[in-house]
Amino acid sequence: MTLFPPDCIPSIPNFVSMSSVIEAIDVCKTFGEQRVSKNISLKVAEGSIYGLLGPNGAGKTTLIRMLSTITQPDSGSILFCGESLKETHAHQMGYMPEERGLYKKMTVAEQLLFFAELRGLSTRDAQAAVKHWLKRLEMMDWARKKVEEISKGMAQKVQFVSCVLHSPKLLILDEPFSGFDPVNADLIKDLILELKAGGTSVIFSTHRMDNVESLCDHLAIIHQGEKVLDGSVSDIRRNHFTGLFEVGFHSEVDWSVNGVVPHSVAHHSDGKVIYRFQTNEGFSAADLLSAAVAKGGLVHYSEHIPSIHEIFVETVSKGGAAIAL
Amino acid sequence: MRNIFVVFKREYLTRVKNKTFIIMTFLAPLLMVGFYAATIYIATETGEDNRTKTVYLTDYNPSLMLSNNPPANYVFLPAPSSEDSAIADVKSGAVFGWLKVEDLDTRAIDSATYYTSETPSLVEMEGLKEWIKGKANKHQFAKMGLRESQIDSAQASCDILTKEVSNSGDVQESSSTLKSGIGFALAFMIYIFIFVYGSMVMRSAMEEKTNRIVEVIVSSVKPFHLMMGKIFGVAAVGLTQFLAWIVLAVGLVMGISAMFLNSGDGMSTQEAVQKGIEARTGMATVGAMGGEGVQVAASGSQGARDLAAEFTEPLSNLPYVEIIAVFLLFFVGGYLLYSSIFAAIGSAVNQESDVQQFMMPVTLPLVFGFVIAQTVALKAPHGAMAKLFSMIPLTSPIVMVVRAPFGVPLSELALSFGLLVLMFVVMVWLSSRIYRIGILSYGKKPTWKDLWKWLR
Repeated sequence: MTLFPPDCIPSIPNFVSMSSVIEAIDVCKTFGEQRVSKNISLKVAEGSIYGLLGPNGAGKTTLIRMLSTITQPDSGSILFCGESLKETHAHQMGYMPEERGLYKKMTVAEQLLFFAELRGLSTRDAQAAVKHWLKRLEMMDWARKKVEEISKGMAQKVQFVSCVLHSPKLLILDEPFSGFDPVNADLIKDLILELKAGGTSVIFSTHRMDNVESLCDHLAIIHQGEKVLDGSVSDIRRNHFTGLFEVGFHSEVDWSVNGVVPHSVAHHSDGKVIYRFQTNEGFSAADLLSAAVAKGGLVHYSEHIPSIHEIFVETVSKGGAAIAL
Repeated sequence: MRNIFVVFKREYLTRVKNKTFIIMTFLAPLLMVGFYAATIYIATETGEDNRTKTVYLTDYNPSLMLSNNPPANYVFLPAPSSEDSAIADVKSGAVFGWLKVEDLDTRAIDSATYYTSETPSLVEMEGLKEWIKGKANKHQFAKMGLRESQIDSAQASCDILTKEVSNSGDVQESSSTLKSGIGFALAFMIYIFIFVYGSMVMRSAMEEKTNRIVEVIVSSVKPFHLMMGKIFGVAAVGLTQFLAWIVLAVGLVMGISAMFLNSGDGMSTQEAVQKGIEARTGMATVGAMGGEGVQVAASGSQGARDLAAEFTEPLSNLPYVEIIAVFLLFFVGGYLLYSSIFAAIGSAVNQESDVQQFMMPVTLPLVFGFVIAQTVALKAPHGAMAKLFSMIPLTSPIVMVVRAPFGVPLSELALSFGLLVLMFVVMVWLSSRIYRIGILSYGKKPTWKDLWKWLR
């Protein structure tokens, strides 16, 4: 079963040139006296998944609304596929807000048809796309049911489908996993990856760091209206490496003879004991490895690269200046 | 523009395919007719107080002969000599009341007092006054040496036939009653339509906001297009319903006419209707009143014929093209103006209870226009007040339609409609500014100050 209807295959992105599908340049937005977005610039490469992280009230939704043409920036510019963002570009985008609903009295099929037509599909194409997606997600039995008659999980699927059935070039999701049960959350993840494979670029904001690490190619952290961190996930993690190493044994070992103190000790349920060491100029990673091997019974040795969660908490807590990678 | 149509289609189809809509389209006229019939029945058949009232009577001028032939349901008894006793009997309920007429001069009865334990109704008081006045008049006529039969034969009747002289010099029969009735009926239709369907627009905007669906929609369509699609869609629903009612009404009339025509004697519809009236009035009165009934029936059917004749020619002389054109233009203009305001209100509020603070000032001009139409415009359709309120856009959809059957100069119509269109354009622009911010504003209850902020 293909993801897209036969006559709606999107074009394959040019990974060589890594052109951007959407680019924000110094966008600012003020509501009353509160400056909600302060000179934010970011670039989303075609065919990539871009994560927007930030604490509540950071300005993620404001930025997302500007990218999806719902609101206009007070200053700065936004480019869509190299062109200045216009309202007509909305037909090439799909948008799912954090707070989302459906018309309760409309049937699933009518609802999806309505959204498809709003996004520029002709009635015929809209009907074909709706049929395709209903089959794809095994929702044919619900086509004639009113939204108020289906369960929340089913409604969540309908919500997601409503923003992708016109095969958008760019999909913008604000907290897409919010309110989704684990089964549907995994389904949405898989669909996002399929869409990416088909050439759709995705921007999504989330608080779930596990999703960021498993899905995103790039991410940015927004804090108090400013972008404080930006780059590919792997680069960000590597650049936040602080020289912490882990060595693991089947039982506890005495490090005092080596004159070093572990940074921390963790006893795992499988019986392993994991020590973390902060290497420094006087005690290198190679020294640690030698000492660990000499103890005998070494079962684990790795550098500890901080998770996105740890980086996020550290960055937001510091309120750090913008770091681009 | 395409998006306006997509929204229009959704707003229209979801409503007309709804079972409630279909049922109410057929049921509403029946319910309304039933309601009015029941009201009239209750008012005429059961609304009167038929209790027999035993009343003390003190008449200082026996020549008035008030004790003879008391009004229906009244039994007069002589009052006790003591005023306190009489009042005590009224208080205890021994008698219903005490009528004391102290006037000696029957030319002006202004010293009459009616003591009761319960305040009499307006109808009862007017009835008593008319009865006493009748007695006084009778006495006056008798003093002048006139007999009752002479007085009756001296009563003159009067009927004035109105004929309008048009600008082209044509003279045609007209009827103020008919024109007032038609104008008022059309104004009422506009009034109801604006309220009912304007509220529908407001609720649609509220639904999208409270369901949190509006943010998805405005990522695809401009808030202005969403608002206009909604206004036009609901208008189409209302017009569909009106059309259905007109078709039903015409079908009913034709069906009833066909029933009369099935007698096979080739009568015209008008003759058949008149015959029906005669048959109905004749049978009812002959049955009830015996010998007198024949004469009453004859006069009753004569009255019905006269009534039909009175309206037949004026009906055919009405300026239908102008009336329909004015009705349609002001119907559409009024609806568009008010529904854009309703849409803005619906977008601003978060729940039903927040609506009230905005509805009153918005609907007040409409209600005021309706009051003006009932009073000023019907009394003096070409007077200064009627002209003024038929120019003000917030009241003109109602007032101008009342004036239209009486003939309104084209310049006045053009000016009024022009002002209405201008106000509509301004209001749509203002409402769309509120709408585009209101639909995405959640949290605290909006105030007029917030609306003003959103406008700027």
